[in-house]
Amino acid sequence: MKRMTIICINLLLALASAGAAARTIEMQVNGLVCAFCAQGIEKAMKRLDPGADVWVSLENRMVAVKLKPGTDIPDAALRKAITDAGYALVKVDRSDRTLDQVRASFIRK
Amino acid sequence: MKYPDRSRALMAAGLALLLMAPAAMAKPIAYARGTTVMAEYGAGTMNELQVFYAPAYWWSGGVGALQLRSEDGRLRRDIEYIRGNLLLKRWNLPAAQANVFVWGGIGTAHGNTFAGTETAWNAGFQLDYETRRLYGSFKSDLEEANAYSHRIDTLQIGWAPYAHDYDTLATWVVLQNRHYTGDLFHGVETAVLLRLFKGGAWVEAGVTMQGKLQAMAMLNF
Repeated sequence: MKRMTIICINLLLALASAGAAARTIEMQVNGLVCAFCAQGIEKAMKRLDPGADVWVSLENRMVAVKLKPGTDIPDAALRKAITDAGYALVKVDRSDRTLDQVRASFIRK
Repeated sequence: MKYPDRSRALMAAGLALLLMAPAAMAKPIAYARGTTVMAEYGAGTMNELQVFYAPAYWWSGGVGALQLRSEDGRLRRDIEYIRGNLLLKRWNLPAAQANVFVWGGIGTAHGNTFAGTETAWNAGFQLDYETRRLYGSFKSDLEEANAYSHRIDTLQIGWAPYAHDYDTLATWVVLQNRHYTGDLFHGVETAVLLRLFKGGAWVEAGVTMQGKLQAMAMLNF
């Protein structure tokens, strides 16, 4: 029982550590076709986290949010924000890439 | 009112309404919690200012003022109104978006084309489909008061020479065909417009086949 508790604690710590490192949220969004769409999404993301840097790419249908260290936004909150902005969230990924690295990865493609 | 005066007034109003195209085809709801300010100048015969606020992405409300003038400036019609816009349906596709909007408004109309102040109302709908390179929309607008009644149907087809992004300037060439019915003006008007926007700022200018200038500016924030 004691061993099982230690394993669980270690597992939780590992998950927490992974979460803390995941400082960039990358979302695929449908319906992004104009600058006004992007502007609305950017404002919606900044309402979720006023300190976040946001990059919206119409070309790649991508919304990337670089969070402040140690913070995160739950998927449900992201989905609600995108839906309430009038768009459709397709997929959410998290990474420790910077926004410049996210941009660069699309340029390379 | 004598018939010749009324005829001239109706023609003047009709000509002025011909110049309303750019404002009419802008989407009535930009984005949730966004304010849209739109101003239009139409060849000296029409000025319009609109301010809408959208509490949510699916509706907006606001006020507007429309001034119509005859070409010689002697005849005028002024309309102030409140209006609500509703997004009935949106399709968010991977590389496109389509919308169905409806709206309705009420206000007052006055001027020297009819006596006193009239209650005016407006209702309409818009269907649009947009990608980053192609744009199409159809809009029908009904304007009513005791002194006038007309319907304006507008079809726009837009083409972008390149696909813009959020941080680049968007350039569109728009071909517009508009059909007027009702007791104000009957006919079809065709115009070519150049539309530019970046971020929340939008400017549009064009010319009708009769050589009349149309211009519009819009700001979303």
